[in-house]
Amino acid sequence: MITFQNVSKYYDYQTVLRNVTLTIEQGEMVFITGPSGAGKSTLLKLMYQAERPDEGDITIGDFHLASLKESKIPLLRRNIGVVFQDFKLINNLSVFDNVALALRIRGIKEKDIKNLVSNSLKHVHLRHLSDSHPKSLSGGEQQRVVIARAIVAEPVVLLADEPTGNLDPNTATDIIKLFREINLEGTTILIATHNRELFRDTGKRVLKLDGGNLIGEEIG
Amino acid sequence: MSMSYSFKSAFQSLCREKWINILSILTVTSSLLMITLTFFTLYNIELFTNRLPERFSMVAYLKNTLTPEEIQNITSTLQKREDIAAVKYISKEDALTELRQTLKDSGYILEGLDENPLSTSIELKLKKDFVTANSAKQISDDIRKIEGIDDVYYGEKIAEAINLLKKSLRNTSLIIFIIISTGVIFVIYSTVKILFYRRKSEIEILKLLGATKGFIRAPFLIEGGLIGFSGGTLGIIGALLFYFAVTYRLSKVIPILKSLAFPLEILVLLPAIGIILGIIGSVIAIGRLRL
Repeated sequence: MITFQNVSKYYDYQTVLRNVTLTIEQGEMVFITGPSGAGKSTLLKLMYQAERPDEGDITIGDFHLASLKESKIPLLRRNIGVVFQDFKLINNLSVFDNVALALRIRGIKEKDIKNLVSNSLKHVHLRHLSDSHPKSLSGGEQQRVVIARAIVAEPVVLLADEPTGNLDPNTATDIIKLFREINLEGTTILIATHNRELFRDTGKRVLKLDGGNLIGEEIG
Repeated sequence: MSMSYSFKSAFQSLCREKWINILSILTVTSSLLMITLTFFTLYNIELFTNRLPERFSMVAYLKNTLTPEEIQNITSTLQKREDIAAVKYISKEDALTELRQTLKDSGYILEGLDENPLSTSIELKLKKDFVTANSAKQISDDIRKIEGIDDVYYGEKIAEAINLLKKSLRNTSLIIFIIISTGVIFVIYSTVKILFYRRKSEIEILKLLGATKGFIRAPFLIEGGLIGFSGGTLGIIGALLFYFAVTYRLSKVIPILKSLAFPLEILVLLPAIGIILGIIGSVIAIGRLRL
């Protein structure tokens, strides 16, 4: 379960998130929406501790982020899969090695890595491109590699920041389908997006942010 | 931690950033070559000076009034000492014969002597560890106190010179080693720091994926070690080329150079020193950076 308790975040004199309180149940798939600058990315960054909250507390499973020591941040991040808007792939590594990196960081043995990466790439329909390098792939394919890397270690929570921001509508629909498949396997998923088409008719909860305030929620 | 990933990553970085690494390796090579040449010189001088104690001797002159039994007693006393390796009795006649052989063509100087003016003596060879100025003086003072000994002579200045030479060579070599090692550490420190900044975005990704500091640092430590190892290995090749050039080419002009020995320990020591200095340089470079 994920909880935000009166969480606020300020950059200089600007409030990015104000007094946000929310709960996300285990296995839930939730969309966070709002215009640019609403605080969607910050909300996700607070969860994987790329940013620290100025006020309030966040819990993710057994992790209490307000009192989390800096040395424990890598452990928290190994429990969370993140799909970054700008992909964050390492260009001089192959698709296979980019995905395998998430496992090597966790100290998984090389003999197991081959199977796990292969399965993960199969999940995103990219097994045939495992020897390619990110630069030779299309935006949609790169996004799939990022998803494969995020799910390969079977994290408890998957966070996706504008995962379809750089993609055409058809590819975007495919990516959302993929997230739904992953969610069906029990992974809690949070997707930040400003594109309302993505959650229309999904039947999933949508949290609405505006100017750093959580202004309500609806079912997509 | 995945060591195979760390090694792979270090090797990939060595190839990817080849120019900066080649430059670093060549600098380390020339520095380690200088250490080798210093060690090479010290090694050969040590070998030479180690042979000097074998030639170093002390002579105890006996009083002319001693009976053969008394001489035998003195010889036995001297043989029992733990600082004396060999004892040789030289009679007056033997001393004169030896003197004649030494004088060769100038032997006529001794003609006209009615009687043998030389004294009976005992030549003493000291054990290697006791060929020092202090020990030799102590031994000579002790021997002088033995009843029947008239005087003791030893090459006091030679013993002092040998020790002084050894001591200053060791000190100079140590200073050279420290200065050059510091230089090597600094070169590797700078290289690893540059490599770190060039991979900053990759490191950011690793951190976001949950990599520990150890996981991020390991490839840089390995890379520093590899630069040091490569420098050491090339240094050996340089040192061997130098050795063969000196013993085969230069020895035709200066024959004594042919007797120079190449310390085989260098073959293992130099790459090992390279690795150690490389890792130290990397540890300082990466340890100071905030991850």
